[in-house]
Order: sequence, then structure tokens, then C-alpha cells
Amino acid sequence: MASIILDDVVVDFPVYGVQKSLRRMLFGLFRRGAADKRVVVRALNHLSMTIRDGDRLGLIGANGAGKTTLLRVLAGIYAPTLGRVHINGRVSTLFITSPGLDTEDTGYENIYTCGRFLGMSKAEIARKLPDIEEFSELGDYLAMPVRTYSTGMLTRLGFAVATAIDPEILVLDEGLGAGDARFAERAKKRVETLLRRTNVLILASHSDDLIKQMCNRAVLLDHGRVINDGTPDEILAQYHEMLKRAQTPQLTVADDAPALT
Amino acid sequence: MAGGRFYQNVATQAIAMTPHYGEAIADFVEGIRLVDLWGRMGWAETKRRYRRTVIGPFWSSFSLAIFVGTMGIVWATIFKIDPKEYLPYLTSGMLVWLLLSSFITEGCAVFVAAESLIKQLRIDYSILLFALVWRNLIAFGHNLVVYLPVALYCGVPFNANLLMIIPGLVFLCLNGIWIALVLGMLCARFRDIQQVVASLLQIAIFVTPIFWSPAQLGRARIALADANLLYHYVEIVRDPLLGQPPAVESWLIVGLATIAGWGLALFLFGRFRRRIAYWL
Repeated sequence: MASIILDDVVVDFPVYGVQKSLRRMLFGLFRRGAADKRVVVRALNHLSMTIRDGDRLGLIGANGAGKTTLLRVLAGIYAPTLGRVHINGRVSTLFITSPGLDTEDTGYENIYTCGRFLGMSKAEIARKLPDIEEFSELGDYLAMPVRTYSTGMLTRLGFAVATAIDPEILVLDEGLGAGDARFAERAKKRVETLLRRTNVLILASHSDDLIKQMCNRAVLLDHGRVINDGTPDEILAQYHEMLKRAQTPQLTVADDAPALT
Repeated sequence: MAGGRFYQNVATQAIAMTPHYGEAIADFVEGIRLVDLWGRMGWAETKRRYRRTVIGPFWSSFSLAIFVGTMGIVWATIFKIDPKEYLPYLTSGMLVWLLLSSFITEGCAVFVAAESLIKQLRIDYSILLFALVWRNLIAFGHNLVVYLPVALYCGVPFNANLLMIIPGLVFLCLNGIWIALVLGMLCARFRDIQQVVASLLQIAIFVTPIFWSPAQLGRARIALADANLLYHYVEIVRDPLLGQPPAVESWLIVGLATIAGWGLALFLFGRFRRRIAYWL
């Protein structure tokens, strides 16, 4: 049973190299004995949520709301500054579809390297190789160095490997790039098959259609907080409503961030 | 922009970084298991240098050979030492120094260079360290080709002492890993350190007995040679190459450095591993 629990998660990004000039400015503005001020950008602001088995969660929000940061926290790339994340299950991320791609290596070698980076075991890659070969439709090109490939072919290769994984928890930032039109149709089916194998999906997207297609639950993020949690239709409607009323993006202010190196 | 202002953190107490030693160790354990991944990463660099060139990575061996050939004769003449004695000493010393200094220099950049990978994928940091050491060990292997003819021509004794090169290299690599980890983390946080290290390394090659031997120093030997940790790192691999028996003193110091260094590295890694992604 895969699940993720976020408990009062705070993510502060330190802004190095800004301190000195900013401090001078702040001293001028605030006239407080400020011994230990550090400048940070708070991307997630005491965010708590529970993601359960079977959830296909869409993250919706304006730019700067915290979607990408949240995805990266869920992926284990950023550990929260404060608070806790409990991840139960293996997380697979597809931010880069071909991690560790080496243009001098052949298609086969890259299938192996990317597969390993994506968390597949050697045996798993061997077992899925025929499927990857067949789906990518690259034929003899697989034995050639990848630098001879066109962009479309590279996409197909990366896509074939990325969709061959068996994720318990899949984290996606926008959809998966699919290449030309004919391929896109087959790609769509392959993604659907992938999703059927996945216990939990977390997807951040600006595309309403994508969210409606792939998700059964959605949260609205704003300034690093979860504003609402419901069905994709509800949340999307609320989001558009919010956009109509919105002004320029603002950074949140909080007084309780810890001073960290 | 009415509400837009920079966030200020006014906490007056630094919250101690909670150490996560378990995670640090798990990182290494998992990294070791991913040997095929970092093995490939290490070879990839070598292969890249092979592609479409005639002698690939041996180009660096070639330039090493030229350096050692010319400067070896020049300095042997200046110091009034028999070239047949001096050349193997210089060559083997340079060989090891290149390996050691590559650990230090590349160690500084190890996390900074992998920024895009680290921010897009959850990886175990140790695979970057292992790939670094492996990559440079392969380069060392290529450079060894330069030493063999020198050793043969100059009559270096090939005896049982040569076997000590294996533990020598093992310990050099073990130390390379913790050095790269500590420097990598420091440089990720404080970008100036890379410059400082580069400058120090430039002088270090002269201060460490590579071009000269401690015997030439006389009584000043203790200060300059023995106090230099880098000297002892070089000794444990250079001695076997020269067919000389292992220097007990050097081995003791390297042993201590290995333990102390790993202690320091694990301490820092435990505390700051979670911060690395934030520093980049």
C-alpha cells in the first residue's frame, strides 16, 4: 500500500550572496538590532497532506505556488527544512526522461544506463528490453551511437525506457514529451498502461486537459500552502476564479524560519 | 507591488542540524551496490577521450613522458644526481601526484558539476564519489605505461615490494573518497574554497618531495617532508613502484589519516547531506 504523508512541511531556499547588500538595506528600513538575519525564499509554508494508494493527484497553482518544489520534496530530492515527509513505497520521478544519457553510447547501452538511473535492476532491464525495443521502433539504430539519432528518435528512446518502469509512486512535472503525431497516439496508450501499473500518481501541470485526463484528485496550491483539496473539476474552477482576481505573485513572509547554514 | 517583499528570517538561535548518520551510511551502502552505474560513469569519461583519436587518454601519458624526460634530465644535472636514479623517482612521484591531485581538484567540483542531475533525480551522492575515484584510477593506469620503460631502462628492481602497490592504491583511493566528499561539500557551500585549494595545490607540488627527495634536505627534513600528509600519500604508492620496502612511518600516518578523515567525512555528511541540494 503506497502512501505519502506530509506533516507540516516547510521548505526554505537560502539565498546566498544577497545577504550583505540586503542587510544594509534592511538596517535602513527597519532599524532593528538584526544580528542573525538570513534571506530565504519560503517555497512551502507549513504544508500538510496525505496521499493514499490509488490517488492520482494533480497539483494546480500559479507560477511560484510551490508545485515544482512540492514534487521535488515528494521525490526525495529536497529534504524539508522543517516538518516531516513519510514516504511509503518506491518513488519514481520522470523529470528527465533520459537521465545519464551518453551520446557516445549506443541505444542499447543507454537503455541500460537510463534504466539503472531510473531505479530498475539489471534483471528488470533485461526482462523489459524486448518491450522497449519494440515500442521505440528504432530497430537497427539501437546498435548505433545515440548521437546519430534525430530528436524524435531520442524522445522515443527516452520515452520507451521511462514508461517501462514499474513505479509504486510516480511523480511527473507536466506530462511526458511524446514526439511526433503518430507516436503520440501510441504514447498515450503506453502512458495509460503505465498508470494502471502505478499505485500513486502525482502530477503538476498547467494544462487543464492533462489534469482532467489523468487525475482523480486535485489540490490547489498558493504561496506554498494547500488552499483546497477536491476533484479536478472543482479545483480547476476555483483556480481559474483565483486567476481572475490575482495580481502579481507575492512572496510569503514568516517569522519562524530556522537559521540554517 | 504592495505586498511583495523579501522574506526575512529573524530567528536568533541557530537550530542545530539534526544529524542523520543512518542516511549517510545508507547512501554509501546503496552507492556500493550501484557499482555497475558508477563503473560505467567512470569509463564513460575515458571512452570519450578514446573516440576518434588515435591514442586517446594516452595523450596525457605522452605529455607526462615529455615533462619527465626533459625536466628529469635538467634537474638531475642541477642536483648532480645520476639520472638513472632520479628519473624513476621523478616519474613515479609525478604519477602518484597526478592521481592524488586529481582527487583533490575534482573532489572540489564533484557536487557542483552534478547540479542538474542532483536537482532532477534522487541519487545517492556516493556514486558521484566512486565514479570520480574510478575515473582517475583508470587515468593512472594509462599513465603507468610511461613508467614501465623508464623503470626498465634505469634498472629499477622488480621484487616483492611491488606487490605493495595494491594496498597502496587501495588506501589512496579510500582517502580520495573522503577527501572528495569533504571538499565537495565545502565547495558546494562556499564557492571560494575551490580557488583556495587550486592555489594551494600549485605550491604543494613543490613543497612535497616530488621533484626532490627528503634526503636532500638534511636536518630540515622533519619540518618540510614528514609533516606533509601529501608526502605520505605519495610514499605508499611510490615506494613499491621503486622496488623499495614500505615506509612504516608513512603507512601509520596514512592509516590514521584514513580513520580521522572518514570520521570527519561521515560527521559532515551526516549533518549536511540533506542541505547539499539546497546549496547548489
